[in-house]
Amino acid sequence: MKNKRQKGLPMYPGALSTYSLLTCFIFIEVGLIIAQSIYLARAITLLFQKMPIEDVFIDIGFFFIAFILRYILTHVEGIIAQKHSDQVSTYLREQLLYQYFHQPSTDVQKIGTGHLVQLLMEGIAHVKTYVEIIGIRMIKTVIVPVFIVLYVFFVDRSSAYILIFTVPIIIMFMILLGLAAEKMADKQYVTYTRLANHFVDSLKGLETLAFLGKSKVHGRRIEKVSNDYRKTTMKTLRIAFLSSFALDFFTSLSIAFVAVGLGLRLIDGTILLLPALTILLLAPEYFSPIKQIGKDFHATLDGQVAMAEINDWLASERNLTASTKQVEERVKTVALNNIGVTIEERPILEGINVRVDRGFVAILGESGAGKTTLLQLLAGRIDPTEGDFRVNNSMWDTLHDASWFDQIAYIPQHPYIFPVSLADNIRFYEPAASDEHVLEIVQQIGLQSLVDSFPNGIHEKIGEGGRTISGGQEQRVALARALLSNKQIILLDEPTAHLDIETEYEIKQLILEHFYDKFVFITTHRLHWVKNSTQIIWVDEGKVGACGEHDALLQQNEAYHLFFDEQRGDGSA
Amino acid sequence: MAVHDWVSTYIKQFKGKMSLAVLFGFLGIASGAMLLFVSGYLISKSSLRPENIMLVYVPIVSVRAFSIGQAVFPYLEKLVGHDVVLSILAKYRKRLYDALEKDAISLRGKYETGDLFQVLSEDIERLQDFYLKTLFPSIIGLLIYTIIIIVIGVFDIVFMVYFVLLLGIIVFLIPFISYMKMKQTYSEERVERNNYYRHVTDAIFGQLDWLISGRYNELEKNMMQHHETLLQYEQKTNRWHHVRDAVLRFIGGISIVVMLIWTNKIVGEEVISATVLAAFVLMTFSIIDALLPLSDAMEEVPIYKETMDRLQTFVHVEKTNEDTSSVITPLDGPLGIELRNVMYQYDGEKENTIHDISVQVLPGEKVALLGKSGAGKSTLLKMLAGLLKPTKGEILVGNEMIDASFLSKHIAVLNQKPHIFHTTVANNIRIGCENVTDEEIEMVLEKVHLMDYIRTLPKGIHTNVDELGKRFSGGQRQRIAFARVLVQETPIILLDEPTVGLDPKTERDLIQTFVEAASDKTMVLVTHHLIGAKWMDQVVFLEDGQIKLAGHHDQLLKENDYYRALYALEEQM
Repeated sequence: MKNKRQKGLPMYPGALSTYSLLTCFIFIEVGLIIAQSIYLARAITLLFQKMPIEDVFIDIGFFFIAFILRYILTHVEGIIAQKHSDQVSTYLREQLLYQYFHQPSTDVQKIGTGHLVQLLMEGIAHVKTYVEIIGIRMIKTVIVPVFIVLYVFFVDRSSAYILIFTVPIIIMFMILLGLAAEKMADKQYVTYTRLANHFVDSLKGLETLAFLGKSKVHGRRIEKVSNDYRKTTMKTLRIAFLSSFALDFFTSLSIAFVAVGLGLRLIDGTILLLPALTILLLAPEYFSPIKQIGKDFHATLDGQVAMAEINDWLASERNLTASTKQVEERVKTVALNNIGVTIEERPILEGINVRVDRGFVAILGESGAGKTTLLQLLAGRIDPTEGDFRVNNSMWDTLHDASWFDQIAYIPQHPYIFPVSLADNIRFYEPAASDEHVLEIVQQIGLQSLVDSFPNGIHEKIGEGGRTISGGQEQRVALARALLSNKQIILLDEPTAHLDIETEYEIKQLILEHFYDKFVFITTHRLHWVKNSTQIIWVDEGKVGACGEHDALLQQNEAYHLFFDEQRGDGSA
Repeated sequence: MAVHDWVSTYIKQFKGKMSLAVLFGFLGIASGAMLLFVSGYLISKSSLRPENIMLVYVPIVSVRAFSIGQAVFPYLEKLVGHDVVLSILAKYRKRLYDALEKDAISLRGKYETGDLFQVLSEDIERLQDFYLKTLFPSIIGLLIYTIIIIVIGVFDIVFMVYFVLLLGIIVFLIPFISYMKMKQTYSEERVERNNYYRHVTDAIFGQLDWLISGRYNELEKNMMQHHETLLQYEQKTNRWHHVRDAVLRFIGGISIVVMLIWTNKIVGEEVISATVLAAFVLMTFSIIDALLPLSDAMEEVPIYKETMDRLQTFVHVEKTNEDTSSVITPLDGPLGIELRNVMYQYDGEKENTIHDISVQVLPGEKVALLGKSGAGKSTLLKMLAGLLKPTKGEILVGNEMIDASFLSKHIAVLNQKPHIFHTTVANNIRIGCENVTDEEIEMVLEKVHLMDYIRTLPKGIHTNVDELGKRFSGGQRQRIAFARVLVQETPIILLDEPTVGLDPKTERDLIQTFVEAASDKTMVLVTHHLIGAKWMDQVVFLEDGQIKLAGHHDQLLKENDYYRALYALEEQM
């Protein structure tokens, strides 16, 4: 329900010098604010005392200079803060990307790739905005009121006391009201989110409603629910807005008290017009940084949440030793040696000990047994928490290694199609490949009719913003990628289950025809692959249930037999 | 047009409440100005040391009154403003829903992006800022401007003209330049942002492909370039803001000085008393502060305009198929379906999607419909649901011509990826039929073999589906959706690819449930696999809008090699 926030001044590289510089400028700014008020008060006082305006021009001039300099300074501060926030944004982008590509961790499975995109786009933007405003704001809140009130103190003590005492009152009320609003919001949160999501939910379900013949009936509910939502929201807002009301109320009341107090003392003759006017001009300046606090509430909240998340992500950094290993020309065996993977203290894979020879290896198991995690290990996408690999006879702690990547192709259920031409998608692993080579592969992999239907042939843009292609065609593009780059290890993650059976049949023929000489790993629920496999790895609840040749296992391993029959649906079907 | 459609109509409709919000906003700013005005007057007057304190009694009281007003009115403005805007949003939602509803069944084909509904919903949310942050403040600003000009005009027409021009820079000129500037840079920046977004998506989703291809450095270089460009655009905007704000402040400073000199002049001419000298100058500060945000308000206009244009594209729908009011044909007992030379051609397409299909489905028969993607399965299904009329030929249901009104009365559809609404299990089922009792719901859940599971939940059928979380599997979702279809108690049920993405075991169980629960019904099952084919009375393969292969499972298995090859995949060995 609530996101974690990171409070306090953000300390990214370069923060210290930025903040020190800002502090210096803000000191000067306070000086200018006071000077601006003094000179304006002087000008008014002198004019009030019927001094000819020519004699007052010098004061007016000084006022104007101080006024302009002050705002120039605020812009300089803004530019400094922005420079820093640009740096932070670049720094975070580099770090996040580097982390994602070079620290094979399980974190991404925790938060999801879609969320990571969001973190890189909006998350960093939020942090950037936050970093840009928070430094100036915090420093100002400390320096500006303190120095103004110090000045007022020397001029007129009682005004200073009023100003000083207002602050704790404001803070107290803000806290009280804040708590009340929070309690209220918490109480209404459930109805609130339900109503808030109702509209999106309705739109997403529109097709279903139409097929149920209920979409018109449902339409009548939209406005009603929306208006219920308004009523609930208004209840919360009534309390929520009270905090800004309190802020306005106490600051303006404080100014009023200062003014009235000054008036009375002027009548007594205990103070003169000039200092009184100066104080009156300074009073709003005294409160202005405090009033700013409420203004950027959302920016602050978003920034703090994003910062906590990004820092979390970056904190999981581990040191990797770049290996200088080379994969032999022909990988004959791959072994997993006592491998375990733990995600968020939950063991996903435990004590995996298998050794497989080059051929067609099917990884079987029920949903959630750990098949995909095993394949991701082989793809170097995640690192084992314990254990190591043997490729032929050399030992590897991790397969996240350029020389291993050089040998593999990974084909998931939905291969990522880059928004570039079909040809560039196919030669993604080998950008230097010629058009002729691409065309040759297109022919082999059965994409010729698709290419023929495109006006630009293989140079037609596909993917987001280009031609959309079907699931079967996506698979073919991924197969073409692997084939063109001549990879010797092919990792397939449930490549055909989502396709219609005719397409599945065609894709299967292609895989068998073109990858017969490769080292293929395939995770699947579709048991027909078993017939074409040289070896089976059966993953059962995070452990290896059995490993070997299918027929032998079926005879020797009762548990495997049981599993297989159950998956086939023997008896019932 | 969009602006007219999305704004003017609603302003007219809610002009009372809107005027009230504007009035409160105006009074808030006026109170602030008057607070400073009276304060200035108070101390000037007091400095003359009047004999009787009663002479400053009125200012003393009004200072306090204005200080309270300065807090109370903005609070009221916010409340009234939000209330009216949320009412408008309710109308917007209803309007968008109604517009989309007319097109509900073809939305999926027309717009690929799954986030579309989220985007539209956020668009509507965003428009509240148009009212709260742009429209209301602009009107209030104009009011303040007009009144201050009139007040000056009362004293001095010539000076009024100067001041009209001077403040006009703040109120009109710079906001206008701001708008023009942002219109241009906003679209440029957006292009660049989308560009960058594309690269981020490429990087994150294509991670393994980048690693496998060894092209990480190329990616990093690309990302850096695009990020830098994006930052440059942001800097450009920021630079403009700095320049703009500096100019605004400069004009503000000049206004204050001019005001001082002018007030001094008319005091000299004894038009007004010297005591208002300070009052006028102090008030100018708060007026300027109130007018400055106008430029920011105008800057957002291009964004709102784009948002409205986008919403408009969905609302302009021309056709209104309100012809469903036709009398529902009384049809009794089990119904069959007959397709006679059915053809379908989409508007603007050159070729038929469905060519000449004739099929007879006897009452109570079960038919499996297969085909590759693009074969025409979905189109055929929509025609069978009565949602599309065949271009040629006819579809008969129990000897009656099919009609959209048959839906949910005689024909029920389980669409592809049915939406499960964020509400309780019971409510989800009630969407199919409003007046079913809890007992009936439990019975139908029993039929779809979900009741045993639901019974284990503390709240039973009144459990919110969101609370089911990850334990709520794909198979269970389909069972709920199927129960929703079953409660409509129609003699014909159409199922559109209900098992995509499920593992074979779940898939088999689910199809078995379908066949059993609908034993007395006519059923057409669009499917991608041949699991359950043996329970079907007919298996029909579609290709390019024509029937490629049809018959009973046993017969096909005996006579057709192709079918045998396909079924081998399903038989698992």
